[in-house]
Amino acid sequence: MFMKLLFGNLTLEAIPFHSVIVMGASAFMLLALLAILFVITYYHKWAYIWNEWITTVDHKKIGIMYLLLSLVMLLRGFSDVILMRTQQALAGGSSYGFLPPDHFNQIFTAHGVIMIFFVAMPMMFALLNMVIPLQIGARDVAYPYLNSLSFWLTFVGAMLCNASLIFGSFAQTGWLAYPPLSELYYSPDVGVDYFIWSLQISGVGTLLAGINFIATIFKMRCQGMTLMKMPIFVWASLCAMILVALAFPVLTVTLALLALDRMMGMHFFTDYAGGNIMMYINLIWIWGHPEVYILILPAFGIFSEVVATFSQKRLFGYTTMVWAIAAITFLSFVVWLHHFFTMGAGADVNAFFGIATMIIAIPTGVKVFNWLFTMYKGRIILATPMLWVTAFFTTFAIGGMSGVMLAIPPVDFQMHNSVFLVAHFHNVIIGGVLFGYFAGIIYWFPKAFGFRLDEKSGTWAFIFWVVGFYVAFMPLYVLGLNGFMRRNFYYANEVYHPYLVVAAIGAGFIFIGILLQLYQVFISIINRHSLRDATGDPWNGRTLEWSISSPAPLYNFAVLPSVEELDQFWVDKESRHHKVSSQQVIEPIHMPKNTAAGFIIAMFAGILGFALIWKMLIPGIIGFLGVIITTIARTFTKETDYYIDVETIKRTQLAFQKEAK
Amino acid sequence: MVAWKRANLVRKLFKLIPFLAVGWLLLTLTGCQSQLIGLLNPKGIVAYEERKLFFDTLALMLIVVLPVIIMSFAFIYHYQISHRIQDYKPNWSHSYFLEALWWGIPCAIILVLSVLTWKKTHQLDPYHKIYYFEKNTMVIQVIALPWKWLFIYPEQNIATVNYLVIPIQRQVEYQLTTDNVPMSAFFIPQLGSQLYAMAGMRTRLHLVANEPGTFDGMNTQFNGDGFSEMHFTVQAVPDDELQKWFIEIKKSPNHLTSAQYLQLLKPSIGDKPSFYSGVEKDLFQQVITTYMTTFGTVHPRGESQKPISNSN
Amino acid sequence: MHSQTLDHDGTDVFGFWLYIMTDCILFACLFATYIVLNGGMQHTLMLKDFVALPDILIETFLLLASNFTFCLAILNLYQSKLKKVQFWLMITFLFGAAFIYMELTEFARLATEGFRWDLSAQASSFFTLVGTHGLHVSFGLLWILIMIFQLPLLGISPASKRRLTYLGLFWNFLDIVWIFVFTVVYLMGAL
Repeated sequence: MFMKLLFGNLTLEAIPFHSVIVMGASAFMLLALLAILFVITYYHKWAYIWNEWITTVDHKKIGIMYLLLSLVMLLRGFSDVILMRTQQALAGGSSYGFLPPDHFNQIFTAHGVIMIFFVAMPMMFALLNMVIPLQIGARDVAYPYLNSLSFWLTFVGAMLCNASLIFGSFAQTGWLAYPPLSELYYSPDVGVDYFIWSLQISGVGTLLAGINFIATIFKMRCQGMTLMKMPIFVWASLCAMILVALAFPVLTVTLALLALDRMMGMHFFTDYAGGNIMMYINLIWIWGHPEVYILILPAFGIFSEVVATFSQKRLFGYTTMVWAIAAITFLSFVVWLHHFFTMGAGADVNAFFGIATMIIAIPTGVKVFNWLFTMYKGRIILATPMLWVTAFFTTFAIGGMSGVMLAIPPVDFQMHNSVFLVAHFHNVIIGGVLFGYFAGIIYWFPKAFGFRLDEKSGTWAFIFWVVGFYVAFMPLYVLGLNGFMRRNFYYANEVYHPYLVVAAIGAGFIFIGILLQLYQVFISIINRHSLRDATGDPWNGRTLEWSISSPAPLYNFAVLPSVEELDQFWVDKESRHHKVSSQQVIEPIHMPKNTAAGFIIAMFAGILGFALIWKMLIPGIIGFLGVIITTIARTFTKETDYYIDVETIKRTQLAFQKEAK
Repeated sequence: MVAWKRANLVRKLFKLIPFLAVGWLLLTLTGCQSQLIGLLNPKGIVAYEERKLFFDTLALMLIVVLPVIIMSFAFIYHYQISHRIQDYKPNWSHSYFLEALWWGIPCAIILVLSVLTWKKTHQLDPYHKIYYFEKNTMVIQVIALPWKWLFIYPEQNIATVNYLVIPIQRQVEYQLTTDNVPMSAFFIPQLGSQLYAMAGMRTRLHLVANEPGTFDGMNTQFNGDGFSEMHFTVQAVPDDELQKWFIEIKKSPNHLTSAQYLQLLKPSIGDKPSFYSGVEKDLFQQVITTYMTTFGTVHPRGESQKPISNSN
Repeated sequence: MHSQTLDHDGTDVFGFWLYIMTDCILFACLFATYIVLNGGMQHTLMLKDFVALPDILIETFLLLASNFTFCLAILNLYQSKLKKVQFWLMITFLFGAAFIYMELTEFARLATEGFRWDLSAQASSFFTLVGTHGLHVSFGLLWILIMIFQLPLLGISPASKRRLTYLGLFWNFLDIVWIFVFTVVYLMGAL
């Protein structure tokens, strides 16, 4: 009886001994974890890890942790790609490939969930965390403790998803888990529960981060920086965070209702007893469509920064760009139905949403033209970030084009759920989001770590990524036009076979691209002294983050800047008037103390999530109480900040100025 | 400097890519016409219209997309720093003329597309009868089962599994629902649109086969382990052949009784076609009503939320 | 970190307003779900056959009263009368606890009479919407208790004023949501 209260439904049978691949992946994961723990112990770094990283509330460190999380999960999400593409290249006609359907179904579900929630979102928050406070001249975000909590909740959500490799299985429903397939009757195993709770936990983290950044951008800009003098990246991020605040509660509710259906026998989305599956589909896409704009808007912001900097020219049409971002933000809420034209809403409704979707293409196109004409009559430096921008223009244009085509209901009636759709969204997510984030990571890497990334390996990684993308996804457009549907582990018509082999080769190229990126980081660390950024401004940048040292000091700015116009830093450089002058009076800086509360709350949330999945009563109560008690205990903490003294600041500034010469 | 040279090579290399891609695309599309089984080889008026719409939209979009792609390569190549272009305007960032151009032209294109969308969406609405073929609609009731399709011809009182025979030049109204399987989508690419089928609900789709032939039908909405093999064969034949086929089917010893239907409700994958003469009265409506009137904790097709999944 | 300490509070309350907005969207989704699932023909037991409106009226007055007493607590806070603040917070707690008690007994009664949350979508949406509001109120009650304990430690300070501002926003927000629950679920549904 006690064992049941402790372990719930978790038994040894939950471990998938029958699947070599899953056992192999689990073993690899555990070995990697053990290796990390061993290395930390061997070098006596536990105190360092705890004090400098786990309990940090510094936005720059939290940004780096988000980045590490996203890169690790990228490897897992991409191994899903390799498995899927290999399966589809092998299966067909008389062959059924090597993956049984239930495994394949978990793989495509996990691939989508991981790439969106645990690669793209963390990568975005990595960039936002690293850059936003620096660009607005602030010392940190508005709520540093919440920032730490947000990261750790995301981390725990990702780990819960990874735990499904070892214990039980993941959902077999597709990344949005449509009911009634995701209901208990059609999916009785724990997979959908893993889906629900890993997303709920990380979703709370995301929502808190959204609130955090909105407050930061509205309330903590330096003196003189009005909204229309902010860098465009800050505008784009602000709008993305507004979308987060408006859309993520919808996800929270929808997942909660699905959980209630599964755990308490309720009937929100069952296919009987009055349940309405169309309600789930509407709700999930009311979240889902803004979600993709949450991902792309910061990428648009990055393109604005990178294009202006590497063209050595002012961004074309700043005001228009802001209005275009605002228009996209607003419109992203009135298009969600285009994800299910085929659900039978009727011509009036379908046509309205189709037209609304096409209207979004207008401000997006305007932004592209603005970037093009920023480059026009500029002096373009083709550093690696600019290469990614070049690829973005063509790739995103094609992806956007296929999107407008899908926005027309009768065309969608043919293309929906085919791999044409898959090609479209990968086209815009890879070509837009991923290329943008890669450009941003390379661009801001020196600010985070103090040295640039190696250009040569970066260029080769870029070539393999771009060639790989086209080879992998152009065949999918053709296949979609020929009636090949998504999520098929097998197909009878062998006509599709050669295209899928080509697609697999493309995935192979991308894989080499990823390996080259890892090599790029490795070789850059080895050569970090020759790649050192001593001046803090390696790219001759335009915005405030380039006015401080690389890496930035803990307090960001010794004296908070004040600005008078857009791109103040660039203006100062051009007019040879130096704003960050040591003549300004340095005062003690008020900083937040590190805290373990965020980490601890997240750990308890993870225990609670795991317990909910396996119906483990005692761990569940422990997890729940742990979250509540830690939160309350934190409110009783009196000493939550401290001061950095003037001497330390002066010393740091002096060292920077010496090295910059 | 090495980076710039390499970057040049990169750009030259990948100027080629879009052209290669498009060229290869066209190549694959022009060849093997008969092997094309989707939108590109339409056999029904709805699919014809949808294909036309697809290419019309493509053409309209290329008006904007091609200049963007060309400009992106041209500008980056021309204005790169090693070309030492004298015409450097670091603070030029505004032009009413250009803004008017790239707000105006996309707006115009989207306006045209919007009108086209409104018209065509109404014309090709699955619920509406197809213009020109309104008279003499044949009704076929479709129930998605795990993981096969049951087709009931209510007028002729026969049923088939995974095999559809339809007349040419005559409109068919497909009434869709599901039983004991998650949401599915009925799709015959060469004839026209797909439409979701959902439990407890009836959706309706109108399609016409204009030419005789054998087509592939499928489920597009993932619904479990048997999804990949949930295909069915569609035969479009002249009316006299259809009538002959009806007579053949009526000779079948199998009847779709309630008991037989319960057998069909059991999950199975990749079923061969089977044929029934005689169908339980109002079976289709009964199935829908079952889902609409069952309440409480037991699924209409299960004992207390017992699973139908055969995995794990 | 915050250059002007006065703005510290401004930023914090702004953030809390943002949270309230997201909670608003959460409830909006629950309301939308409730309305959609309660439309159309009901083929089974319906709420209006089970609900006791007089009880709902009492619950409404309890909640409204608790909001009033909370405002009294705030007034005393700005007059620096710590003990009175604690007193009025305790009264607020009692009113709120009475509300929760009545709601729980109502749920138990409905369930035993056959209107259970696993009966139908209509029932599920009722229990979830009203229950989510009740859950929020319960968290608010816990928060009130903690504030009663914490006040002597914090004293009358910017910190205590800030925290009670948040709690006040939260508590008032829940009252407003209850008005909608009352209207949409009980008046429109049960009449």
